[in-house]
Order: sequence, then C-alpha cells, then structure tokens
Amino acid sequence: MNFLEYFSVAFEALRANRMRAALTMLGVVIGVAAVILLVSLGTGTKNYVERQFAGLGSNILIITPGKIETRGGPPIVGPARHKLTTGDATILAKKGYLFSGVAPVVFGSAEVKQSGRSRNVSVLGVTPEFSDVRNLHVEIGSFVTQADVDAKRRVCVVGRTVRKELFGNANALGQIVKLNGARYRVVGIMENKGVSLGIDIDDIVFIPVKTAQDLFDLDSLFEILVAVRNSNDIDSGKALAVSLLFHAHNRHEDFTVTDQRAILSSLFTILDTLTYVLGGIAGISLLVGGIGIMNIMLVTVKERTNEIGIRKAVGARNRDILLQFLFEATALSASGGVIGLVAGAAGAGALRWAFPKMPIEVPLWAVLLSFTFSLFVGIFFGVYPARKAAAMNPIEALRYE
Amino acid sequence: MSANVEPLLRLTKVGKLYETGEQVVTGLDGIDLDVNPGDFLAVMGPSGSGKSTLMNILGCLDVPTSGSYTVKGTDVAALSPDELARLRNREIGFVFQVFHLLPRASARKNVELPLLYAGVPRADRGRLAEEALATVGLSDRSRHLSNELSGGQRQRVAIARALVNHPSLLLADEPTGNLDSKTGEEVMAILSRLNAEGVTVVLVTHDPLIARRAHKIVYIVDGRMVTEDEFRKQRG
Repeated sequence: MNFLEYFSVAFEALRANRMRAALTMLGVVIGVAAVILLVSLGTGTKNYVERQFAGLGSNILIITPGKIETRGGPPIVGPARHKLTTGDATILAKKGYLFSGVAPVVFGSAEVKQSGRSRNVSVLGVTPEFSDVRNLHVEIGSFVTQADVDAKRRVCVVGRTVRKELFGNANALGQIVKLNGARYRVVGIMENKGVSLGIDIDDIVFIPVKTAQDLFDLDSLFEILVAVRNSNDIDSGKALAVSLLFHAHNRHEDFTVTDQRAILSSLFTILDTLTYVLGGIAGISLLVGGIGIMNIMLVTVKERTNEIGIRKAVGARNRDILLQFLFEATALSASGGVIGLVAGAAGAGALRWAFPKMPIEVPLWAVLLSFTFSLFVGIFFGVYPARKAAAMNPIEALRYE
Repeated sequence: MSANVEPLLRLTKVGKLYETGEQVVTGLDGIDLDVNPGDFLAVMGPSGSGKSTLMNILGCLDVPTSGSYTVKGTDVAALSPDELARLRNREIGFVFQVFHLLPRASARKNVELPLLYAGVPRADRGRLAEEALATVGLSDRSRHLSNELSGGQRQRVAIARALVNHPSLLLADEPTGNLDSKTGEEVMAILSRLNAEGVTVVLVTHDPLIARRAHKIVYIVDGRMVTEDEFRKQRG
C-alpha cells in the first residue's frame, strides 16, 4: 500500500463518522486559530509601536546631559561637569557632517492664559530644525524661525489641544497669549498628531529656544536632538557626536548619546516575550486538542476491533494497521490545522476591520509553526491508539462483537 | 493419491495448549493430517471439540504449541508475524460463519481488501474484484453496501473475497451456520463447484448434511482426531 492508499482509507473512515470527526477536529481548529490570532495580535502590537517611533523619526540621536552608566554603579559626576549648551548644538551642526539636523531643546512647563482661560502645558524651546528632526509640522502659519531664535522673540506655536482649549472655535493665529505672565504672539498651529507613547503632542506650546531659556531662567539645554542623514550611519553618527562633544567639554564625557534603537530594543524584548507567551498558551490548547484526538482514536480502535480482525485475516500486516490508524489521526489533526489556519486568518482580518489603527499582521512563521505543530500533534497522539490496534490478536479481534 | 505429490498442508503431531489463569487447557492434541491440492475436506466436531482451534491454525491466524504445520513445505512456526500475514494474504481465503464483511463498504470494496494488502494497483483491483463477484453471481450487487445485502448474498461476497487472490486453500468455518437451508444450499453449491474447478476447500462444520458434500471427513472430539465410529459413539 502506498501513501495515497493509506490516506484514502483514512478519509473513508472519517467520512463514515462525520459528526465525530468534525468535533474532534474542533479542538485542533481552535488551537491553531488561537495561535495564529494571538501571535498576529502580538506582532501587530509590536509593529504599531515601531511605527509610532518611526513617526517621530527613527534616525534620531538624543543627547542628554550627565553620563548614564548602563553597566550599573553610581553615575560618575566629574569635577568639571558641563551642561549642554546652545554652543554644543552649534558645534554639532557645524562639524557633524553625518547629520541632517541638530535641534537643541529646552523643556519646561508653564501656565498659558488667554482672555480668562488658563491651562498648564508643556513648553518646548526649539529651533527651526526641530520641525524636521522630530517630523512635527505646522498646519497653519509658520514654525519658529531662526530670526525668532536669534532675536529671542516672544512668539509661540501651539498644538491642537492648546488651541482648542484657549480659543475654542475662534481664530488663534496672530492672537496674544500669556505664558507665565509674559505676552506671546501665536504664529503657528501644529498639525494634528494625537497621543504618541503617552505624550500628547497636541498639548504642547513651542517657543524659540533662547526665549525659553529666558522664560525658565536657564543657561543650559534639556537635550539636543540630532537627525542622522542616513540611517545606516547611526553608529558612526553616534561616535561622531561623542567625539565632538568630548572635545568641546574639555575631554570629559559628561553627556549621554542614545539612539532610538536602544530604547526600542528593550521594549521589543518585552513585546516579543509577550507574543511568545500568548502563542505558547494557545499552543497548550492545541495540545488539549491532540488529547481529544487520542481519546476518539482509542474509541474508534475499540469499535473497529472486528474490522481490524478482518483486515488481519485477509493479509494486513501490523504495520498496515498501524499506519491506517496513524493516518486517520493525522488526517484529523491536519484537516483541523488547515481549517484553523483559515479561521485564524479570518479572525485576524475581522480584527483589522474592527480596529483599523491596529496593524495586525499574520506572520508566516506562526502559520508554518502552528500547522507543523498540529500535524505533529496528530502523529504524537495517534501513535498510541494505532499501536494498540496493530497489536491486536486477529482471532480475538474477529470474535469481538 | 500418489505418494510423490507434496501435500498442500501437512500437520504432524500438532498440539495447542491454552493457559487460562492457573489452568492449562488442551485445545488440540496430536493431530496428523495432510491436505492435498484439490481436496475437499470437512472437519466435523461438536462445539468445544477444538475444530475452531484447528481452523485458526490451518488459516495461519494461530501457530501450534507443539508439532509442526507446513504450508507448501514451509514450516509456519518459523515465520514472523509479517510473513504469516503474507501467507494468509496469498495462500488462504477465509469464509466465516458471521461473514465478517466491512459493513459500511460496498461489496466490491470488501472483495478488493485482500488485493489492497497484496499491493495490486488500484486499476487492477476493481477489475479482479468484479471478476470474483461474477464467479459467485453477484455482479449486479457490486456497488451495494454489504449491510444492504441478504445473508446469502453476504456469504457469496465473502467467498468472492476469499477467492480474489487465487489462494491455494479456501477455508470455510460453518459457512452455512447463519443461513436458512435454501441459501445454505446455494453457498454449498458454489463451494462444490469451486472445488470441481480445482480449488482446495477445507470446511469446518458440526452439520453432517453439510459435511457430506466434502470428499473426505475428519472427526475431532476433545482436541483429538477420532474415527467415524468413535465419533458416533460419542454423540450417542
């Protein structure tokens, strides 16, 4: 008997008991569908996060004052600790041949008032480069200009939420708002960005960096953002930034350069683990489906004792009987696997339709793995009943009613 | 019978012991028997006499615990389970009292079963099965499920299945036991005709009217072969 003959015998037997076959398959169907769906969800979440970061600019270096020791131990604070200054930003912009933009940032919070309404907002002191580096643009009016920075002008660009809270539906452009009591003219309104990673981009007021230093009485910067022109050059860009600042700071490395990958990689580790755990839990349900197959195969073997006796009497070898029942179990799990794949993919499609913002993706590895696993489950749990069938004594099997 | 013809089957001092818990039960004891090609032999005995055990040994479903049994000169005791299966497949056709057909398969599928295990290609299986069904006069029933057939028809399907691989021996265990006398007679007529065409037939029965159709009768009581007179005495 060849491969195809075993399969046709197996499918004939399953066809004879459709309802039972369908219910037995269901365990595997649910298992495989769950693996596909949960892994897709996990992968979708990861892709979602990745895209959120990419929206902020994935080729950004973030330079912050102070040295963060990543290998444990207390931070080393040198005797001549420097802060980050606009001068550092200028050096990076002039000598950083790998950089497409350098954006010094001052950060603070302030009360913003307009005709009786007030609101506490985050204030970012920025230069024109900030807009391109962070991929945040104005929708109406203009962003902070170099002239605004140089002249320390009291102008501001407001986010969507700020605009709405202070002005309602009235025109905001050209209006005066008060930041901590000082008058600022609104020159631009940012495009709608929404909440990204817990920070409401729309609830920020942007002012020129030097104006901000005056406002918060600072001579230093909160951070410097550097956009690397070519994303392949992130490592060399990082080295370049370190060496430029190292010399500017009298050979002290009292600053930290991080890139987004460093932040992302730890987050991705968590998300990957989550995906595997979800897939593993779903895999357990696949295992339970396999036990269902074993259970029903044991019943089938018992019921078909007489058939086994007949087959042996007319010349079936033990191997023929073993393979017959093994193929039957495998046919059950493989059919369940295929149906489960379709159901899982359909479920992922339905989720994508219901939550269009969630980029659910069915990874090929999950498809291959869960199908292979379902096949393996059928073989594994089919072996014991099939061996039992093969080991039957033909005389006793024929006598069995 | 000339002595130089090698017997198809030869039993020499064949014994079979069963262990049932503590006790050892003698199933067969010292059976000597030759079956030559073309024979039509009946084995007669009351129930529990050991004739079913003999039938199982003749059919290579079981092996003796003592003595030797050879099929075409091959000692069965030396064969592996796979080789026994092959022997059953090629050399022996079974006809059982309770038919033993696969209930949800068609008559033709049932007849094809030995061909399947003989490795005959699918295309030839159908043709050979139809030929065997024609031999027993059931060509028009080949597509019927076996549980849709009458008892006599079922037994004829079983005979077709037993014949399809052209075995050396047709082994029939009470073939008429579940049939009324008319259909039983039809089945016996088929066996007689097949024997006339050269098929070796061994028939196991407790019915003297059926046994009379054979050319030779052996009698078994309590696992031993006895003469006809002893047999009659036993039965009272």
